[in-house]
Amino acid sequence: MLEVKLHDIGEGMTEGEIIHYLIKEGDNVTADQPLVEVQTDKMVAELPSPGTGKIKEIVVNTGETVQVGTTLLYIEAEGNNKIKKLTTQAKEGNAPMITVTNQKEVQKSPVRLINRILATPYTRKIARDNNINIEDVQASDPSGRVTEDDVYRFIKVRQKPIKSTAVSQSKNTAKEEMNKPTQTTHPDEIPFRGIRKQIAKNMTKSLFTIPHVTHFDEVDMTNLFKLREELKADNMYVSVPAFLVKALVIALKDFPVFNAELDEENEKILLKKDYHIGMATDTEDGLMVPVVHEADKKTIQTIHKEIKHLTTKAKNSDLKPADIQKSTFTVSNVGPLGSTGATPIINYPETALIAFHKTKKMPVVNENDDIVIRQIMTLSLSFDHRVADGATAVMFTNRFSKLIEQPYKLMLEMM
Amino acid sequence: MVVGEISQERDLVIIGGGPGGYSAAIRAAQLGIQVTLIEQGNLGGVCLNKGCIPSKIWTYAAKKRSEIQHMEELGIESSGEGFHVGKLLDYQTKVTKQLRMGVEKLCSENQVEVIKGKATFTRSDRIGVENGHQFDTYTFKQAIIATGSFAELQANIPRESNRILLSDEIFKLAKIPDHLIVYGNDYIAFEIASTYREFGSKVTLLLENERDFPYDSAINKELTRQFKKKKIQIIKNAQLNSVKEMNDSIITITYEKDDDTEHLLEGTHLFTPGIRKPNVQSLGINRLGVKQNEEGFITVNKNLQTTIPSIYAIGDVVKGPMLAVKAIKQGKVTAELIAGGKPEVDLTFLPAVAHTIPPIASVGLTEEEAVEHDLDIRISQFPFGSNGYAMISGKKDGFIKVISDKSNDIILGIHMIGEGAIELSASFAQLLEMAAKEEDVKFPLYAHPSMNEGLLEAVEGLIGESIHMVPKRKDERVSHVFT
Ligand SMILES: Cc1cc2nc3c(=O)[nH]c(=O)nc-3n(C[C@H](O)[C@H](O)[C@H](O)COP(=O)(O)OP(=O)(O)OC[C@H]3O[C@@H](n4cnc5c(N)ncnc54)[C@H](O)[C@@H]3O)c2cc1C
Repeated sequence: MLEVKLHDIGEGMTEGEIIHYLIKEGDNVTADQPLVEVQTDKMVAELPSPGTGKIKEIVVNTGETVQVGTTLLYIEAEGNNKIKKLTTQAKEGNAPMITVTNQKEVQKSPVRLINRILATPYTRKIARDNNINIEDVQASDPSGRVTEDDVYRFIKVRQKPIKSTAVSQSKNTAKEEMNKPTQTTHPDEIPFRGIRKQIAKNMTKSLFTIPHVTHFDEVDMTNLFKLREELKADNMYVSVPAFLVKALVIALKDFPVFNAELDEENEKILLKKDYHIGMATDTEDGLMVPVVHEADKKTIQTIHKEIKHLTTKAKNSDLKPADIQKSTFTVSNVGPLGSTGATPIINYPETALIAFHKTKKMPVVNENDDIVIRQIMTLSLSFDHRVADGATAVMFTNRFSKLIEQPYKLMLEMM
Repeated sequence: MVVGEISQERDLVIIGGGPGGYSAAIRAAQLGIQVTLIEQGNLGGVCLNKGCIPSKIWTYAAKKRSEIQHMEELGIESSGEGFHVGKLLDYQTKVTKQLRMGVEKLCSENQVEVIKGKATFTRSDRIGVENGHQFDTYTFKQAIIATGSFAELQANIPRESNRILLSDEIFKLAKIPDHLIVYGNDYIAFEIASTYREFGSKVTLLLENERDFPYDSAINKELTRQFKKKKIQIIKNAQLNSVKEMNDSIITITYEKDDDTEHLLEGTHLFTPGIRKPNVQSLGINRLGVKQNEEGFITVNKNLQTTIPSIYAIGDVVKGPMLAVKAIKQGKVTAELIAGGKPEVDLTFLPAVAHTIPPIASVGLTEEEAVEHDLDIRISQFPFGSNGYAMISGKKDGFIKVISDKSNDIILGIHMIGEGAIELSASFAQLLEMAAKEEDVKFPLYAHPSMNEGLLEAVEGLIGESIHMVPKRKDERVSHVFT
């Protein structure tokens, strides 16, 4: 009998949600045939069959979230039933490992002898009582033992940002509200799992590890809007976000700390050579972040098409794992939703995130001291205070604003 | 069913009064839930009436018997010759009855309503209880299925003979078998082999389809040695092919070894733990769509809920190790879950024990498992031959083996064969659950002289600090003193 367990698919995943079984009990399967779709932290992965045989029993129901190490199903193997260990490749190149053990475990079930939870039963209880997966809690003890203090600290950090975001956010952008079920306005219950749970988890992780600072600024969009209208007259339709992304990439090249990742352990800031821009998108399933890869190498028009394509896919829940991976910087375009300001949360482990809010007509004093009406957009840049300070952030958004306010400069940069 | 039947309303209905069911009932009552417990037979289930308790009466008696020689050494005279099976059976009846009455009393003191009869689900929120001519129905808010399991002979073993024994029969035998063949690979088989040998049976142990005993290799080696010393013949990796009963009270069996050779063996009796199957036949759960696996065991999620969330299942009737330890834990946890708590069952450090002579207790990672996962480990094995109390009690056989993680000193596994292993297993489990490091074991004070000191010395031995263990190499001691 082969026992198929959920194994670490890499990136330190600890649990996964069973989305869909591609087989049913009694089916015959061959080695490497995909068995089940599992939603992990960032993607949906398929776990392939470790061998040939017949599906004997499915133990975990669809919709359940299970820990790494949990047995998902049993396969009655053809041939021998010796203890085997197999490694299989996931579709998108990660390597989910499925441990296969002989089911004949006489009295002992080596459930989690490896990767066991290092915490006293009492500490584990505190975590459970507070709906915390103890494996999310970082141990202060270098040997990995999680203490009561660690759990309490985790609870505290998790609660604080929720309160502050609740005041500063408009209702549409408050994705983090998922984290505080007690304050939802709807009396109906929403299952807190799958993508929703991932979002909350990432947010918590982000807030827990990254000291956030947010810098607000205003950008005059009038000229860009004019340019867009001119292009439209020529039957060339390019959306505003495409310009914004291009300008961002150019600004990021000058301020690479914002296109980076902090490797705290080795005390290094890793400046990314790639410019993969995540586009936070509101979907029915929650916030998704499809990625425009290599935005530095693409034309504004290509970027425009790609954003459109990815947004549609996100709305239809059609995103593939590759579509949502590897972002180096994230854009949250909340303007169309009517937001005028918020403190966005960084998409861990990135170092910064920019949110574009609603553009409004506003009276502005120009260089001739005339009061003119301009199209003004607010932006907020949240960044990791460990990698940059306020001054750098101001320089970065200034650089970006210039490119948008004088779009011809954008053209120059691209030649 | 009577037309216009009246269904009585209940909050929590528990089916089966074994260790799982009655533990759930009492814990639920403690938490203020109104509980109804339905049992068709005796409270205490398999565990109290046919399993844990009777089997331990026999292993205990065998252990006492094995001490006779040492008793003489101590000046306590005992011929040791007479053994009256009948008396032991009486004792067994007395002890199980006392314990059963204890459970009955606890149920009534806790205001658990106990209903006698066989329960069948008639709807997903209703149950019928049949007791002779009476049939009553109860509507419930929640139900727990704790109906346990029963043993069945392997397909190739004929049923007719009364000299082919399952555990239900062997503890009722009025005469000790001459030559007992034991076929199996679990603790029940090992306990039976060890016990009957002590009472004078010739014993042949056929290790069903296994290359070795299921413990850490050091334990396996020592158990093999101990069994051989007692003249228990062990045949490893055997697969029983046929059983034939001869007229002259002889049983002939053929078995196949892993090298495909077939062998013949004669004995007077055959014991096997058999194949345990869940008690689900009369429950009517398949009609409700409660999911079961191919062997019939009920499928439950982490919260022990079946596919009908208001119906829970615990103990032997769900998959997993078939031990009262599991049933009791799941019973209590289910009651707490129903009461709104957030407990969990984690069987990672379930002690594997066997009341053999000497007994075995094993918790956590074995050396083989650690090596298989490429862990950097320290290993130490303290022999009881170097322990004062073991000398006093004449129980010098065995050892404690400890495995720790070199990178962070955390204890990974503790394995013991030797006197007191079962009682000491609580310490092993506690240390592992607390994620203890070597220092956490070394720091406390240990009663002297006692077997406990074996644990201390085994852990000290991880870093060459055991007082009563001879260092492996002569120069080790010197280098240790000067560094
Ligand atoms: C020989 C032997 C030795 C063992 N030794 C040990 C040991 O040392 N340690 C250990 O931990 N475990 C031991 N076990 C295992 C242990 O006995 C079981 O794991 C345990 O009894 C399971 O408990 P349970 O509550 O799930 O079910 P059970 O104890 O099987 O109880 C189920 C109860 O449900 C009742 N029932 C079933 N169907 C219905 C129905 N439809 N309506 C009403 N009532 C019903 C039955 O009559 C029974 O009383 C041993 C088992 C055997 C056979």
